[in-house]
Amino acid sequence: MTVLSRRLVIIGLSVTVAVAAAWVVEAFLSIGKPSPFAHSRQGHLTGWVGLGTTLLVFVYPIKKRIGQNRRWPRHWFRVHLMAGVMGPLLILLHSGAHLHALVPSLALAAMAVVAVSGIVGQGVHYLALRTLNDRRRQLHDQGLNADEVEAHLHRMAAQEEAFRLWQSIHAPMTLMFLVLTVLHVLGAIYFGGL
Amino acid sequence: MYYLPLPRTVIPAVMIATVVLVIWLAWGSWQDPERFWAPGHLSRYHADISRCMSCHEAFRGPVTAKCVQCHSVARFAERTMPSAAAFHQEFIRQQHTCVSCHTEHRGALAHITSHAAKNPHGDFVFAVTGTTSCTACHVFEPAFGLPPAVLDNDQVRSVRAKGSGAHRPGHMAHCFQCHGGEFLKGSNAGIK
Repeated sequence: MTVLSRRLVIIGLSVTVAVAAAWVVEAFLSIGKPSPFAHSRQGHLTGWVGLGTTLLVFVYPIKKRIGQNRRWPRHWFRVHLMAGVMGPLLILLHSGAHLHALVPSLALAAMAVVAVSGIVGQGVHYLALRTLNDRRRQLHDQGLNADEVEAHLHRMAAQEEAFRLWQSIHAPMTLMFLVLTVLHVLGAIYFGGL
Repeated sequence: MYYLPLPRTVIPAVMIATVVLVIWLAWGSWQDPERFWAPGHLSRYHADISRCMSCHEAFRGPVTAKCVQCHSVARFAERTMPSAAAFHQEFIRQQHTCVSCHTEHRGALAHITSHAAKNPHGDFVFAVTGTTSCTACHVFEPAFGLPPAVLDNDQVRSVRAKGSGAHRPGHMAHCFQCHGGEFLKGSNAGIK
């Protein structure tokens, strides 16, 4: 198994365990209650907290694109990563394994695509950068000059670009996630009351 | 960290896909609102209701004013014992809401009354009799705690007749000592 496949397997297992854990906790909190936790007042509150946490992820792309000095906002990137994991986990606790209505189910699916593509993309990207830097150091140690090193690394860099597909999924799917989430929230308020 | 810009076609493609999705959701919501918005199927008691607004009021949720359009005083008087009718009328008079005790969208076989006495026969009895309510076969005593009496009507006679092949006809309470809930008690096979 290559380093990349091992990392993808670890990410896949971690995501599966996290989803299962959130749904098991929701089922545990529903024991002996007339309605599932997800449909209780506390469940709705968890949904609002999850939404608020999830919305924090948007500070990073906004800071990255808007501002006087367009330096990479490292701290907001960390917030982006943390909120991008914690927010969806809270939303999973809010939803439970009750997937009946299509609108919230589609919103959940869109959130899963955005979150998982973010985790996979970041994992693969970090791995590729680390491998590239290690190889660059090795080539320098072998006495190659800068042009020769770049020529050697060109193929590796091109391969890394192939993994950039995740970025074409991660950012644009956010639009669909936002639209579906707004529809779900409006629908819940319209039918369930304020 | 440096990322390349997205391909130009990605954003327009996702925007078009989102617009198509929203149009489909609007069409689906018109055709089958429960499938698109409800958190679960309605119970067997309300399965004939197809319009959300029969029970829900916009931005207020399920309201008592909608419930009493069907569950009127006259209907209570017709279908329940006087003490139940009086209990519900007093409850409404005190400005309580129906949803403080009754839930919905929990599935066709769900119990929709919180803290109510559990049906000792399980949902099996509804499948056998084709009924949806305890009062189809029982009359409840006005005094709290007394066991309900069994009526002598078509549903009851039908259940007795169904049991006459495998078992000797007897009191239905005897049938449901074994055929309670979803399985045959004492059997490892879990016969339904």
